[in-house]
Amino acid sequence: MAFNLIGKDFTPHDVRPKVLGTGKYTEDFRKEGMCYMKMLLCPMPSANVTSFDASEALAMPGVLGILTADDVPAVEEPSYPMLTNKPRQLGMPIAAIAAETESIAADALEKIKVAYEPQPFVLDPLESLYPGGTNALESGNVTGGGEGPIHTVKWTARDFAEAGDEKLPMGAAPVEWNVGDVETAFAEAALIIDEPFVTASSTHQAMEPRSVLSYWENGKCYIHGSSQSQSWMMPGLARMMDVSLDNLVYIAEYCGGGFGAKASPYAVQGMTAFMAKKINRPVMLRVTRAEEYHLGGTRPGFQGQIKMGFDQTGKMTAADLYIVQSGGPNRGSGDYSAAAGAVALVYTPTNMRFRGAAVVTNKPWHVSQRGPGQNQIACIIEPLLDRAAKELGIDRIAIRDLNAPDADVIFTDRESTVTSMYLKDAFQMGSELFNWEEKKKLSGQRNGTKVIGVGVGSAYHSAGSNGFDGLISIRPDGKLYVHSGVGNLGTYSYAGTSRAAAEVLGCSWENTVVLNGDSRHGLPWTLAQFGSNSTFTNTRTNYAAGNKAKEMLQNLAAQEFGGAAEDYDVADEKVFAKADSAKAMTFAEAAQKAIELGGEWDGHEYPDNLNDVTKAAMSTVQGVGLVAAAKDEMPKEGSVPGMATGYCMIELDTETGKFEILEYHSVADCGTVMHPKGLEQQLRGGAVMGIGEAVLDRMVYDPQNGLCATVGLYQTKPPTILDVPSLMEMSAVNKPDPQNPFGVKGVGEPAMGCAASALLSAISDATGTYFNRTPVDPDMIINALAGQPQSFKPLQVNV
Amino acid sequence: MQKKFSSDRYDPLGSDRDALSRRHFIKGVIAAGTVAGAAGLMTSCSDGSDNSEGAPAAGSVERLVSINVNGNVRRVDVMPNETLAQTLRNKLSLTGTKLGCDRGSCGACTVMIDGVTQNSCSVLTHTVRDASVVTVEGVGGANGEIHPVQQAMIEELAPQCGYCTPGQVVSGVALLQRNPNPTREEVRQALAGNLCRCGAYNNYVNAIVKAAGSA
Amino acid sequence: MTKDMMPSFNLFQPADVESAVSLLSDAGENGWAMAGGQDSLDWFKDRIKRPTTVVDLSGITSLVGISETTDGVEIGALTTLTDVENNPIIKEKYGLLSMAASRVASPQIRNKGTLGGNISQDARCWYYRSGLDCYRAGGNTCYADTPEGMNREHCLFGASRCVAVTPSDTAVAIVSLEASMVIQGPNGERVVAAEDYFIGPAIDITHMTALKPGEVLTAIRIPAKWAGAKFYFEKVADRNTWDFPLVNIASAIQMSGDTIEDIRLTCGAVECVPKRLNVVEDIVRGSAANEETAELGAGAASRGASPLNYNHFKIPLMENLVKRAIRG
Repeated sequence: MAFNLIGKDFTPHDVRPKVLGTGKYTEDFRKEGMCYMKMLLCPMPSANVTSFDASEALAMPGVLGILTADDVPAVEEPSYPMLTNKPRQLGMPIAAIAAETESIAADALEKIKVAYEPQPFVLDPLESLYPGGTNALESGNVTGGGEGPIHTVKWTARDFAEAGDEKLPMGAAPVEWNVGDVETAFAEAALIIDEPFVTASSTHQAMEPRSVLSYWENGKCYIHGSSQSQSWMMPGLARMMDVSLDNLVYIAEYCGGGFGAKASPYAVQGMTAFMAKKINRPVMLRVTRAEEYHLGGTRPGFQGQIKMGFDQTGKMTAADLYIVQSGGPNRGSGDYSAAAGAVALVYTPTNMRFRGAAVVTNKPWHVSQRGPGQNQIACIIEPLLDRAAKELGIDRIAIRDLNAPDADVIFTDRESTVTSMYLKDAFQMGSELFNWEEKKKLSGQRNGTKVIGVGVGSAYHSAGSNGFDGLISIRPDGKLYVHSGVGNLGTYSYAGTSRAAAEVLGCSWENTVVLNGDSRHGLPWTLAQFGSNSTFTNTRTNYAAGNKAKEMLQNLAAQEFGGAAEDYDVADEKVFAKADSAKAMTFAEAAQKAIELGGEWDGHEYPDNLNDVTKAAMSTVQGVGLVAAAKDEMPKEGSVPGMATGYCMIELDTETGKFEILEYHSVADCGTVMHPKGLEQQLRGGAVMGIGEAVLDRMVYDPQNGLCATVGLYQTKPPTILDVPSLMEMSAVNKPDPQNPFGVKGVGEPAMGCAASALLSAISDATGTYFNRTPVDPDMIINALAGQPQSFKPLQVNV
Repeated sequence: MQKKFSSDRYDPLGSDRDALSRRHFIKGVIAAGTVAGAAGLMTSCSDGSDNSEGAPAAGSVERLVSINVNGNVRRVDVMPNETLAQTLRNKLSLTGTKLGCDRGSCGACTVMIDGVTQNSCSVLTHTVRDASVVTVEGVGGANGEIHPVQQAMIEELAPQCGYCTPGQVVSGVALLQRNPNPTREEVRQALAGNLCRCGAYNNYVNAIVKAAGSA
Repeated sequence: MTKDMMPSFNLFQPADVESAVSLLSDAGENGWAMAGGQDSLDWFKDRIKRPTTVVDLSGITSLVGISETTDGVEIGALTTLTDVENNPIIKEKYGLLSMAASRVASPQIRNKGTLGGNISQDARCWYYRSGLDCYRAGGNTCYADTPEGMNREHCLFGASRCVAVTPSDTAVAIVSLEASMVIQGPNGERVVAAEDYFIGPAIDITHMTALKPGEVLTAIRIPAKWAGAKFYFEKVADRNTWDFPLVNIASAIQMSGDTIEDIRLTCGAVECVPKRLNVVEDIVRGSAANEETAELGAGAASRGASPLNYNHFKIPLMENLVKRAIRG
């Protein structure tokens, strides 16, 4: 299908302010009377505050007030507290001080006298599962990982003794599902691969820390936040601050990156707003980089065991996956379950068993990161698929293609389905574009101390949702206003999906205005900007709203000129009779007419099936013109699979363990391409982040003291421009998803996982070593090439 | 368990401070006779916690300095421990310069000082009194034209979240000033101090190479 | 745990070395000499080092610049790393230092950071940088050298209560270039060999250099002896920019035909000081610069290494870098 706007490049309205430096992020706002807040953080991994005296701090000139756990709502474990006297993590906030200047606030913090009673702590989930091991929280050590109550699970000493150091102890699993019969399948398998693995917890480290500005005016709570979502933030923040949606103003027009850690309301937002309320001043909390490591989100790490059986052709006949997920002192996310789902979908094992335990630790707040679960497991499985292919003597892409799903795939015990699937197309396209047949001949080629490695990887994420609201207005200025509740994470999907409404209405992009980033615009309810969902989800909401507006315009014209609504069409910023173009009403005229008519025409009346957030938005929007609000009620069956494949060639120096990525190519299955430049960005950006995940991003803890070694960028090591290829090639299958009116679906998350796994595949190809771990640092490669043991045990974490 | 560093040895407002300062001020001035302006400057500040006699009160210890920012001489009160990023953002309303780490590790706060890029978070404002500072707000033309690097970044949809972008712009502009026709590799080297977590590196290089062609 | 707001201090900006020395010697332990400030400000922002007197050396113009002398080149300690990297004399004759300077941190930091500052920088042991009361911070324990210490970046040699390493890229180069360091103090000028400038924990556990309170490093002199020699510098770090070395190496070799006539070889990030590999030098001197010689030298390089929990990778890495330096 050919579209006017979908599938074409455009310049989103926030690009220019970004390059001019005029785009305002939270820390860039100033407010009359603004003061600064700084937090007192717990200096140890677990403690009880036994005494607290801030009198000296409060007596300092310029100090305006203090906030402690007594001033904010208490939460129950494993919810993450805003402030607490029982900090269960290094860096958990105990109190906050507001002062006229940030310097005074910092000095005042040092005057607070706090006595801590250190508590036992645990940083390694397996230690917590050992009999008598420490529970990170009083209420237990295992959560449902996003669902289910926290409880205590201990395995038997025998579970550990039998496993030894080389295998994951596999005690009774809190979570388990089965498809078919893995044991029988293993008994019949031609090849079995059975390996322990570790994927390290890693931190999101967006470039902008999660700073907050908050103030109260006339009973309204104003919050400027750094969040990847917009409307999604509203209900949670309103609950947190105990205000109605009408009395909450949330501004997040720009967000300096989130990657999952700024998807939903977070504790420091509430903390700042409570301080603003208490001292009746605008309060700015500038979060430091070090604080961002403690409070800013960490991807759950895995300790696991994967056993895969293959038949002679390379078909995966059985997969037995056990994942112990490392969380922080909070409920955490369902990464481990998502990882199992990814194995079931991407490799379609005939028989599969998944067992898992999500363990809480006294490490930072853990939350989903780009490709939660799917990307971690891709890093482990993809290199091992290479091993299977090599041992069975088949091509490495062929084994992936053989195991790849078709559109009629049914996976996991829930018998999930997908809306579309073009992974095999992606492999075919990728192997042609990358010239796989020629490249793989270079594998192992030596040049002095250097050796060539060639790799391939793939990843999946469920990238789309449904059931949210669209809202547009056509105003007397003759323009189409698309109200977008999508956040601005930097993917430009807030703008790209808004084009769906313009597409439906045949409206030019020049006459389309996107309203976003400030709840005062009147923004409809939609899902958070996470999970690569926005593209699929919000083209549907804007399609619904666009069609509703079209219908309204047709009805309006029929009322005005006579005839039936279907006698009219909408294009070029007007509604006109199909048979007689003289019977036409411009958008400007229609808007004026709608205002005169009021009621359902200008937003004073609206469907009851809208979400409360959209309803609250309607009070802002009503009367501005012709207002169309509609809920996406189109059917949707199955998961929306964003799929991506990566192809990589490296030259690895066997003497230093360092390598250069000579070539990287990615091919995505993201349905119809919505925004070509935006897609390129996501695939390239995902590749950079994937390189980080595979070989650089570090998070190191001292097990004795519970201290964190990685609280600066030079310690956590996100990839620099010199760690990634100068040019990366991107392509897409570009075949439509039938359950989206434009055929589009998301891809941001697998863009990372396919690159990470392709790079690890290439490293294994070059070194002949399967590390079964992320990140693979130079020291590991050096040890492997020198024939030395690694300096940590296979299942050791935080190294 | 972690123990707090003992501050005994480094009492920030030790009892002999004033005597010490005054003595050095005099000495500094005498010693500095040959260098105008910059020489022998003594500044001090208070953390606001000290009310002892003779100690300056909070906020009253800034020193008025002149800095050339984006071609204009700006007069501003500056604390001794104030970074250029703080001065630019908090006192001169130039918030295009972003703070990503405040540790010289990310480059979001990159500005040009006398034509070379530096992390403004890691420069004390007092050390650039005689220098010319250019921020992202000042790289364009005198009549408000945007710089070709910025134009190319728009065309290439170079930024993602945009937080590192002002730093990338300044590093790119500084490169083209000293090397109007850089190779792709030279562009990468010039951007090596500018982290981008979104991973838009290729896009920034593409834009700067494009701008070099058109500049 | 509180970060990024520096405690207050008095800032002095002397215009000459004498004033700086006088200010610093009067301030004693409360004084702090700041060159480019690229590390100083981090210490202050961490509120761990809290001097009351900060002496900004950047206004002392006599400390900036590179000039050829009758017996080599003299580099003012306040010369920026970028200027060192790009200086034609250094590039042409003492390229080892140019290479090393080019691999320090990032362009922005090299534009502000100075050679003197980079050479004299403090240890990067993360425990020490956390503000713990370790030996190096004047306390009485080491957190890194414990049964569970996280010490991937720490030393193989020369441990003496403290196991931190030199993080400097330029330090190894100037040791291999046989540089000497010009120091101005209350009692006048003294000149020490680069090898003696760097001191390990056995000599003074709280300092990385021989600088005494009140002293200022004013210049680095490189003798003409090594001008135009065959140089090799390599830094292996996790990241290709803005990172500290896992191991680095710097060598200067005088060749006579295919034969190594003389050599100075220095390895960094394996000891608290740049580790001059005299034994390797002795082994390879007079031999052909080939694989066999490289193997021979490499085998001796790591002799005596005492790896910690997580850093035994540094042994083969160091040996490999020695090979590469000898091969050239």
